Amino acid sequence: MSAQSGLAGAVYDRGYRPYVGPRGGRQEATIALWRLSVRRALGLRRSWRQKVLPWSLLAIATVPAVVNVGVAFALKDNPLDFRDFEFITYREYVGVSTTLLLFVALVAPDVMCPDRAQRVLPLIFSRPLTGPDYVLAKVAAITTIVFGFGFLPQVVLYVGQMFVSRDGALNYLTDHAGPLWQVPVSVLILAVYYAAIGVALSSLTDRRIVGGVAILGLFLITSTVASIFEAAADFHGTPLAVLNLLSLPLAVRDLVFLGRLSHDQGLSGVDGGGAVAVAGYLLVVLGAIALLLRRYREVDL
Amino acid sequence: MRAAGLGLTYAGGHITALSDFTVDIPAGSVGLVGANGAGKTTLFRLMLGLLRPTAGHIQVAGRDVATDPVGVRSRLGYMPEHDCLPLDQSASDVVSTFGELAGLPTRAARQRASDVLDLVGLDEARFRPIGGFSTGMRQRTKLAQALVADPALVLLDEPTAGLDPMGREEMLELVGRLAGFGISVILATHLLDDVQRVCEHVVMIDRGRLVRAGPIEALLQTIGVMRVEVGGRDDAVAVLAQALAAKGLASTAVDAHHLDVDTSRHGDEAFDSVRDAVADAGLRLYALSTQHRSLDDVFIQEAYR
Repeated sequence: MSAQSGLAGAVYDRGYRPYVGPRGGRQEATIALWRLSVRRALGLRRSWRQKVLPWSLLAIATVPAVVNVGVAFALKDNPLDFRDFEFITYREYVGVSTTLLLFVALVAPDVMCPDRAQRVLPLIFSRPLTGPDYVLAKVAAITTIVFGFGFLPQVVLYVGQMFVSRDGALNYLTDHAGPLWQVPVSVLILAVYYAAIGVALSSLTDRRIVGGVAILGLFLITSTVASIFEAAADFHGTPLAVLNLLSLPLAVRDLVFLGRLSHDQGLSGVDGGGAVAVAGYLLVVLGAIALLLRRYREVDL
Repeated sequence: MRAAGLGLTYAGGHITALSDFTVDIPAGSVGLVGANGAGKTTLFRLMLGLLRPTAGHIQVAGRDVATDPVGVRSRLGYMPEHDCLPLDQSASDVVSTFGELAGLPTRAARQRASDVLDLVGLDEARFRPIGGFSTGMRQRTKLAQALVADPALVLLDEPTAGLDPMGREEMLELVGRLAGFGISVILATHLLDDVQRVCEHVVMIDRGRLVRAGPIEALLQTIGVMRVEVGGRDDAVAVLAQALAAKGLASTAVDAHHLDVDTSRHGDEAFDSVRDAVADAGLRLYALSTQHRSLDDVFIQEAYR
């Protein structure tokens, strides 16, 4: 037997090697759980089927921005004055992010339900993590993705508009400084809202389909009920419009962009409608977080 | 692990899960034995800080669980009895995930996952989804995730449950090696034979109460049965039984020439007592032998005493 073949057949028992490197605590564990949840929601390290939905939705959410910039570019040298063509405003585009609700209805249960259904929670909570850490990581993961998917198309729109602007990029930037803070703030408001509700409802069931239906059903039912109250008030505005959980974060968005509610909001005709909207928003988000903290206060092994 | 007066009650004190549990478990491999529902998993939950005791206190790895549950968990590994693995992920991803959740940096967690999967014999299958694994492979994956962060102590809840004889042998062999790696083990099981094979110490628990705890060798010394074969008279067995009873030794007749003598708590002195009793009664002693002792005998004797 040659030395070559002898080496090829060698087997080494490496045994057990103790770990002597850095070891994090709660913070590192929470960040790890956040990262793993984001990865799962985006379908990374999963089959192509799991990747189709999130990336298709991001593409669809970007279409209005691309169309707007494309048309503006095409009309740039048109003799007619289509000054800074804009078929969708930044404020309205935040509203388009509502389509991400569908994404949340699919992704939040996928991030939450298997932990309970497959009884992975005991393993997670045998690590240096607490219930609040788990809730924070999961809500932050969904918030991050919804924010990213709501904000990236806005970036495409803004940068695109800047470069096709007839007045020049620098002038566009100085003339449109408001959206630079209004867009991220309002998209974040929507992202936190959807994430808190989506994760809270998903935590109540082991089954993903039930979680998804519950999320969509809640928004559908509350918006329908609120519409009935608004119609009963002859569309002059009623405080009961606060029950419309679908339009509630958009009312807060209006306050960020306009400093007041837009006329299409059910609360717009109500005295102190803006304050009612903010109070309703906070109540919903904090209620969802409280539900989650209670749900993960104690975990069975 | 050190517990003092540990107690846990539910439903306003009507249901007792653990009662006045005081024990000092040394480092090394320890068996926690008891019937189903005896309180083994409850004790694990208390050790992990996932339940608060209603009485007493508990220390694990030198830390007080009540004041520093997260610190305790950072040095523990836990392998549950039930299925607990995400079936749509590969063993490699799952084990490295739990390494990261234990605070290991991502790259270190992946390296450790590779190492421990190799150790438990899943080097070939580590990139396959767990959904396609056999029960034995899933148990090995569960053990690997418990070891990935190099814990000081690993809690194993019924690690041989559902395994075929070969799988059970391999799992016990793995568990038996852990103490040699510097990892203390608490093996919860209702199979005393498993404990006797791989552990140095045992803690016996029954209906939430501590039955017995100590080194296995020492416990085995505390019980015993001696088989005595006598003759010389037709009623030799009855005469000897009476003589032994006078010396405080209980015995049971097996047949006309054999009787079993309970030597528990008498040790080697029982041999002398039997010899003297046979001589005093004028009987003939044909044979005298110690019967096989096991933890089952200890548990049955202590739990149902």
